[in-house]
Amino acid sequence: MGRLNDGQARKKFLAVAGLFAMGAMLVLPIFAALPAALAGGGGGSAGGPPPEVLAAQKAAAAAAAASGEGVEGEKVEVGRDVYYKTEGPVVGAPAPKTADTSEFYPRYNFESRVLLWVANQQHLYYGSFVLAVPIFCMCVEFAGMVSKDKAMAKKYDQLAYDFIKISLTAYSLTAILGGILIFTFLTLYPSFFGYLSSIFRPVMHIYALMFVAESGVLYIYYYGWDKMREGVMKWIHLSMCVVLNVIGTVLMFLANSWIAFMMSPAGVDEQGRYLGNIWHVLHTALWNPLNVHRILGNMAFGGGVVAAYAAYRFLSAKTDEERAHYDWMGYIAMSLGVAFLIPLPFAGYWLMREVYAYRQQMGITLMGGLLAWLFIIQATMIGILFLTTNYYLWQALGRMSGGERFQKYIKYFVFILVVGLLVFITPHTIVMTPAELKAMGGQQHPVLGNYGVMSAKNGGINAIIMTTIASFIWYQRGNKMPAVSWSSFGNIFLITFFVVAHVNNIWVACYGYFIPANVRIGLSIPQVAGTLSCLFIGTTINLMMLKGAKEIGPIQYGKIAPRSQYALIMLATAFTWMMGLMGYIRSSVRLFWHVNEIMRDNSPWAYTHTIGFAANVISFNVLFFWISIMFVFWLGTLGMKKAPVAVKEPVQAIPSAQPAGGS
Amino acid sequence: MTWLKLVEGYMPMQMISELALSVLIFCLVNWTLKRAGMGISSFWAAIGIWAFIVTYLTYRIYPPIPFSVRAIYGTVSACGLFMWVSGSQGAWEEFKRPIFNVMDGISGFHKAIRVVALILIPLGLGGFAFKSFLPSFEEPIELRTVHPAPPATTKVHGKTFVLQTSANPFRVNKEGKYDQAFSNERIVEQSMGRLMKDVNDPNFNPWDPNAEGYTKYVREGGEIFYQNCHFCHGDNLNGRGLWAYAFNPIPANFTDAGTIAQLQETFVFWRVSKGGIGLPGEGFPWASVMPPWEQHLTVDEIWKVVMFEYWHTGYYPRTWD
Repeated sequence: MGRLNDGQARKKFLAVAGLFAMGAMLVLPIFAALPAALAGGGGGSAGGPPPEVLAAQKAAAAAAAASGEGVEGEKVEVGRDVYYKTEGPVVGAPAPKTADTSEFYPRYNFESRVLLWVANQQHLYYGSFVLAVPIFCMCVEFAGMVSKDKAMAKKYDQLAYDFIKISLTAYSLTAILGGILIFTFLTLYPSFFGYLSSIFRPVMHIYALMFVAESGVLYIYYYGWDKMREGVMKWIHLSMCVVLNVIGTVLMFLANSWIAFMMSPAGVDEQGRYLGNIWHVLHTALWNPLNVHRILGNMAFGGGVVAAYAAYRFLSAKTDEERAHYDWMGYIAMSLGVAFLIPLPFAGYWLMREVYAYRQQMGITLMGGLLAWLFIIQATMIGILFLTTNYYLWQALGRMSGGERFQKYIKYFVFILVVGLLVFITPHTIVMTPAELKAMGGQQHPVLGNYGVMSAKNGGINAIIMTTIASFIWYQRGNKMPAVSWSSFGNIFLITFFVVAHVNNIWVACYGYFIPANVRIGLSIPQVAGTLSCLFIGTTINLMMLKGAKEIGPIQYGKIAPRSQYALIMLATAFTWMMGLMGYIRSSVRLFWHVNEIMRDNSPWAYTHTIGFAANVISFNVLFFWISIMFVFWLGTLGMKKAPVAVKEPVQAIPSAQPAGGS
Repeated sequence: MTWLKLVEGYMPMQMISELALSVLIFCLVNWTLKRAGMGISSFWAAIGIWAFIVTYLTYRIYPPIPFSVRAIYGTVSACGLFMWVSGSQGAWEEFKRPIFNVMDGISGFHKAIRVVALILIPLGLGGFAFKSFLPSFEEPIELRTVHPAPPATTKVHGKTFVLQTSANPFRVNKEGKYDQAFSNERIVEQSMGRLMKDVNDPNFNPWDPNAEGYTKYVREGGEIFYQNCHFCHGDNLNGRGLWAYAFNPIPANFTDAGTIAQLQETFVFWRVSKGGIGLPGEGFPWASVMPPWEQHLTVDEIWKVVMFEYWHTGYYPRTWD
């Protein structure tokens, strides 16, 4: 690096100082909230009681003093935490007991719940998107910075810039939708929102401050792109993206704490009175499983949306260069999305396990009772996601010389995927006419009934995931021939490894029927271990084998069948639909409670919608999101100054762009 | 198809294996024919395989699979076949060729097929539309919640039971202490034809006069079952009792992996105690005529009969440890 002149040095110093100042500003609200939180709340800064409650307490104390009770009147009432079972001073008001009146539920001549549902879902879609895209941006910018190939580095940098540009407009929409959501809550559910905000007051303030901080970092990051392009400034630029993502993740965790509290309240007594410990209110039974599940889900969703954007641009491209760029962009976005899709079912499994551990009836309502059929739809969507991913990868093999070696084996993969999916989506509660029920001789079918329970379903989804991993390994090998001396051994090892993992998976799925249920639950561990071993060991060995591999031919980006791009659009739509569905399921499981077992929903809409109605609203939400995001994409093209960077050299398969295991 | 029976206990794997074997044989035959220059095109191969799968599911599996499940299976199979025929550009071109040949009418034969198709397709769609408008006299489909979520607690004979934490007081070892592992060892082996592990050992045979602890209570539960429950749930607990077919739906089949094997013992205790009339709102359409047995049996009798049901079917109640 050459010697810096004074002007440059000053600029860099200011940039570094600015970054530190930003970091300090970010943690300031947390430090400001800590003393009160550690002291167990109280006052307005750590979830203390609302002013009216404080006033009422003061008045009661004064009345007691006047009546001669003296010091006895100052005794603090102690409540018992509904979840942690610890005792704490009652510092909050009880949860309001609502009635079906306009005082508690002001309304239009329409179902308030559906209005809130739509507002919430749209905010969530955009929120997920703007949280996920900067993470991709960070990965892609980093890949560009460490790339030794100058052309590739430039291409990655352009891609990261494209990503963040899309996210910027979506960011404004997220904030607008957040405002609409809060207004909807305040105007249609004032009692409930008042109660929730009385509990989460400090958290909501920190949330708002974090949002301000995120906006600041995002704008500096975006507008500073060109100015911070070289040397140490580029690293500072990347660090800002890291800070941006940390803030985004904390924001999401805070918002998750509200819904986790509604499902599995803690930190309050049986009447819903806050007991002064803000950590208990945040750290409820389902908070962490929800955090993990949501962050993975957001990433998968974000990848899907960006991939769909790329597919749309590919299909409407006029030149080969454009086609090549957007084909490549679609592939990267899809890979990142699927890398997070693969662990998503495991995170979902953990969440469900915690739900069952928290309340058995909640788990049964979800998976065996009222909402069970929605889970079948969810399983179908998961199946569509994995099948579509496989399909895209097989199509992508067509754009590289040598890929055709693998295409003749597609039918065997199709068979495993289809059988796995059939087992995975077989319903436990079958839809049938009474005549069919009689003909079947009972509610459960003697053959298919066995597919309807968890033991078989775990086997089905693990078979699908392992096959998807094998497709990725094919793709990694597409145009390459291993040149290491142990390549034959490596091939035999890989094939044996996958066969053994499949045999283990099927054997465990069958064995599960012959052992007690509590032992059976543990059987998912060897199944998951087999799948994860395929993921990590399989891809690692494959990458080792591909070191110095002989290239059969270049990857010809842009030379891919349009079917693959429709597959990407389908992938994104399935992600969006599934996200809407799962949000509905998670929310519906509270049945007639605003806050589970604490605050009852007494509005006229405290019932569970029919599956058909729910599916229609979800579809409406999906359609609305896609129409509005198309608008965002269009806005992005308006500001486009330059054509995508054309790469003259043949593009290599980049290890860092591969999904999990590849990087 | 009676000559090739579905073997009880192995039916799910048998079905998958039969399907896999059939498709494999078909592929092998086609591969051999292709080598001899007489292979079936992927268009007809895909249609043939799909038709085979649908036929297999409709006629091979007994009792008949409800239409909704067959529709799901048929759709997934069709999607899988589409993925196969369009997995590579070459395969896709091969698959499309017969369709384009007909559309282009490349020969007299193809032209004739095109004419037939142009007549049959609108007729078929019209017929489908006509049929869908015809009044139906079938009972409507019911999406029944078979296992509604239980309440957190249930009150039986004045005593409150917390369903998540309560345990069967008769699942005890010889010393009279609750012991799930002890009772699990004494359960019948379902996979071996529901046999007792040792008929001559009072530790394993509830009908041995010297049986004690868990085994003795199983016998008492059995006596209660055969006095009260077997008329509907059947003497083999498979839901085929004498009166079973008077009800719609027929009573629960405890030998099925999807009923008591999926549930905690306290769930079964709650259902037996409260019966059909005590089903929660979620249990719509409340299609159960089981009496609330708390009106006829004591708490102890209900626990014993529940334990007998698990013992006899060879299933273990779900636990959370």
